[in-house]
Amino acid sequence: MLSKVFATIAVVITGGLLLYGVYDFPSFGDPNSPPNAGVEGGGESVSQYFITNTYKDTKVPNMVTAVLADYRGYDTMFETVVVFAAGVAIFCIMRVVGNANDPRKKEEEESVHSFTYGDHNRIIIGTTCRVIIPVIQLFGLYVIAHGHYSPGGGFQGGVLLGSSFILLALSSDLNSALKRFSEYNYFKLAAVGILIYAGFGLASQFLGENFLDYGVLQPLLFTDGPEMARSHSMLGVEIGVAFTVMAIMFSIYANLASHGTLKDGL
Amino acid sequence: MSEQLPAIIVLAPMFGSLLIALVGIKEHRVCLPIVVVSILASLVSTIAVAQQVFTSGPIDYFMGGWEEPIGIGIHLRVDELNALILVVIGIVALLVALFSVGRMDRESEGKAPQFYILYLLLCTGLFGITITADAFNLFVLIEVSSLTSYGLVAMGSNRRGTHAAFNYVIMGTVGASFYLIGVGYLYMKTGSLNMIDIRNVLNSNAAIAESNAIIISFLFILVGIWIKMAFFPLNGWLPNAYSYCPSTSACILAPLMTKVSVYVMIRAMLTIFGFDWIFSHPFWSDLVVWLAVIAILAGSIFALAQREIKKMLSYLIVAEVGYMVGGTWLGDSGGWGVTGAIYHILADAMMALCLFIAAGIFARSFNATHISDLEGLFKKSPWVAAGFVIGALAMIGVPPTCGFFSKFYLIRGGIDAGHWEYVAALLISSLVNAILFFRIFEIAHFGNKPSEGHDHHAEEVTQIKAAWSSTAPLLLSAAAIILLGLFNGQIIELIRVAVEDIPSLTANLKL
Repeated sequence: MLSKVFATIAVVITGGLLLYGVYDFPSFGDPNSPPNAGVEGGGESVSQYFITNTYKDTKVPNMVTAVLADYRGYDTMFETVVVFAAGVAIFCIMRVVGNANDPRKKEEEESVHSFTYGDHNRIIIGTTCRVIIPVIQLFGLYVIAHGHYSPGGGFQGGVLLGSSFILLALSSDLNSALKRFSEYNYFKLAAVGILIYAGFGLASQFLGENFLDYGVLQPLLFTDGPEMARSHSMLGVEIGVAFTVMAIMFSIYANLASHGTLKDGL
Repeated sequence: MSEQLPAIIVLAPMFGSLLIALVGIKEHRVCLPIVVVSILASLVSTIAVAQQVFTSGPIDYFMGGWEEPIGIGIHLRVDELNALILVVIGIVALLVALFSVGRMDRESEGKAPQFYILYLLLCTGLFGITITADAFNLFVLIEVSSLTSYGLVAMGSNRRGTHAAFNYVIMGTVGASFYLIGVGYLYMKTGSLNMIDIRNVLNSNAAIAESNAIIISFLFILVGIWIKMAFFPLNGWLPNAYSYCPSTSACILAPLMTKVSVYVMIRAMLTIFGFDWIFSHPFWSDLVVWLAVIAILAGSIFALAQREIKKMLSYLIVAEVGYMVGGTWLGDSGGWGVTGAIYHILADAMMALCLFIAAGIFARSFNATHISDLEGLFKKSPWVAAGFVIGALAMIGVPPTCGFFSKFYLIRGGIDAGHWEYVAALLISSLVNAILFFRIFEIAHFGNKPSEGHDHHAEEVTQIKAAWSSTAPLLLSAAAIILLGLFNGQIIELIRVAVEDIPSLTANLKL
């Protein structure tokens, strides 16, 4: 009871402070606010720079993609690493490896026996999913590839691709999804995704520029100028992100749904 | 090549972890060599960079080559403050990798490759936090290091570890979100995420610097980081998380996680907001020093109440965090408090490493998790005992170990600033540490029941040999404690450069 009182007080103080601070903010959409117009004493306004120069620098019409994958690409690479680390951490916590005497495993086996395989609705569900899954995957690929021009990109497309495998596991069982996408493969694919991303950075280092300076990759990508090289590299790193996100989405589902045994699932 | 070194420091462990994911999952043998090689690559780069920094000043590295105008890209910066900390992170990571030899397969239940993936990503995160000069990038790397540390704590057969990790996840997430909210407010008012750019705005624009949103953003960044470093009232997650996780995880987390968080606080205070701005609001500086005094006393008292070795050490870390926060906030005009706090980051990393490695050896080779299990330690295993004693003496603050000198500079700062309560808390805590460790020495030398000493003398003492891979890192860290102490003059000189230069660093960076 006392702890609840303390918690309430803490929450009220925190919320009050936050609101008090918001009161001090520039009004919504104010063109003269510090992030939009810059402040006296600081550098040039960052958003002003992005708005005027993104297309010139990168030939990518979607500014968000350019900021995400090029200007602040280092952040995005580590966001992908965060996704990867989450997958590995969940593996470490949930996955039951080897040890046959583990109580959780026994319990799990019992529940498997009490579980009836398949049900009479399977034809309808199975057929629907068989039709829907390729469409989801196609849409996922579209979202990845079209990230330059419209909302989308590697994270969103990767989630769509991952969800298509989860749908497969839900509609039949985990094993049939794992047959197509095994544990060994998805961990590899997750690492390959980050390697693709970091590989673009490493390649620019080998060509004598800083990490993730895509412009210098021009001779490798056979483009007209450094701007197009940036644009193509962004697509490349988005594909890497999509690999990792897709693989880790599915790995997290597989571990959570089967209590780490990777058997049968929900 | 040499201008790429700052990037290599962060990236080498990351590439190592990816390599393990690709080839190490089937072949457990290759994991450890990959870990050692990638950490060595980082360590060599940190040393090279540090040398460069101390001869020719701070090094800037712009990711993707986005240099002008400042703030559009991500800026890494190695200066006198973080160069030393980078080197210490590298050394600790290497010694713990050595310590993990031969124990990982048992501790991780056959998940050694995954353990090493998380281990290397944790190093990536810690290096990245330390090296970056971008407030948002810092958050991303806090996420990397926190997520991996949750995994490292939760692994292993001890179910209490999993429970502790859950508490850690909740508290850690709250801390990281507070930090993020603070950075968001800061961006709203200054329009920049680059630390130096923010500092320029706050310096030149008094209306913004004194606005409520900036003060609130500072409070949120501070409290968020305090949660991460387990500053006293916010330390609930730490003792269980460090006591019930695998020994190797405890050895990497205890020396580095809290210390890097302290570094983040000092970085935020020195570089983002600036000491002048902070100490022009005197009401909170006195308050924080008092909080630190409470943290030191509470940590020491809780440590005194523990019977488990690792729990006791965890509470000592809580007290040490109080030292560093208090030292940073003393605000004495000579800057000796913050100098002592930075030196103590280095010293405490080594002391915590030494003591937690010793605790790991006790748990494995002596089957000792409680203080009373250490009976006869000195005779059974003199080398392990020697390492442990050096760590303990440093914790108490006996010269010539580094623990003495860090306390010396902290106390000097406390006296200069007139914060006698802080000086008193430091002395009391040293006294408590002395009681704690001499109690252990007594048990280790004379046994639990001194009155029955005769029987013990008659007993044949069986030597217990810990593996060289455990003893070597212990003795190396003990040697580092003494070296840090012996060369304290030179190290303090380097830190003084940071403390005196960073407040005026804006002039150094061309805009």
